[in-house]
Amino acid sequence: MSSTAVPMVHGRASKYLDRSFNRQAMKILPGEFYATTEDEVIVTVLGSCVAACVMDPIAMVGGMNHFMLPVKQGDRDPDVFFAARYGAAAMEYLINNLLHLGAQRDRLVAKAFGGGNVLPGMSSDVGGQNVAFVRTFLSNEGIPLWSEDMGGPHPRKVYFFPHTGQVLVKRMERAHNNTVLNRELSYIKEFTGPSMAGEVELFS
Amino acid sequence: MARCILTVDDSSTMRQMITFTLKGANFDVVEAEDGVHALEVAKGRKLDLIITDVNMPRMDGLTLVARLRALPEFKFTPILVLTTESDQSMKMRGKEAGATGWIVKPFSPEKLMDVVNKVI
Repeated sequence: MSSTAVPMVHGRASKYLDRSFNRQAMKILPGEFYATTEDEVIVTVLGSCVAACVMDPIAMVGGMNHFMLPVKQGDRDPDVFFAARYGAAAMEYLINNLLHLGAQRDRLVAKAFGGGNVLPGMSSDVGGQNVAFVRTFLSNEGIPLWSEDMGGPHPRKVYFFPHTGQVLVKRMERAHNNTVLNRELSYIKEFTGPSMAGEVELFS
Repeated sequence: MARCILTVDDSSTMRQMITFTLKGANFDVVEAEDGVHALEVAKGRKLDLIITDVNMPRMDGLTLVARLRALPEFKFTPILVLTTESDQSMKMRGKEAGATGWIVKPFSPEKLMDVVNKVI
């Protein structure tokens, strides 16, 4: 499987012990998601990307993704779902993993974060596009959005505790976060263009 | 008369996108939200192609494929699996159940139509 064939991968980063919260922490990067039944904390840093924290509070299963919709290159393509197809798949990767871990679809609830207007030199409001997508997707799928902190000029650091559903958000100063911006810009480059589709196999 | 495709997915967003692509290519489209619903929709209907997701409540896509293959009217109807699952063992289960092909999401409309036109 090539890295561009499938847009979302299960969190690759190794876990570490977060001494502040006294539990295992999993940090996820753009294009990753992580779902768990354990009492852990999932951490990510968001610029214009969005992260959906989705959980089944009864089964105590939860997870987070971290993604950005691709920016359309030019207007010749009449494909109105160009960006949303990617976002819908990003959400489905997370939701399917939650279901595999014992969550029930009709009990899922979500919290959503990020989508800041932080990328310099982008002509369109990338963050705003991501925010609009997440709200529309959750509404279409009947997944209640319990809380959110999206938009505005700030990058954010998000801590999600899947067992309780609690989320801590730290709004960061944009001047100190070139790492976040550079990571997002390389993510945009990697996941834009015709290669952004899954593989096809016909059985003989 | 336009050829008719059944698309099965528990995500209404995904159904909307697939239907949009297929209708743009002049196919009639009927939708179902899981395997149980798909069997109800398919009953007594002439279908030229079925496109199904895998992970769905009540009845998953691979069970649906096997159930459809057991019905004489759908024994030879092309069935494509359209899913986020890309695991080789899962694909093999799909093939054994009787699927015609496997497409990993996110799909591109061009690729989807290319495959549809090949199998239909």
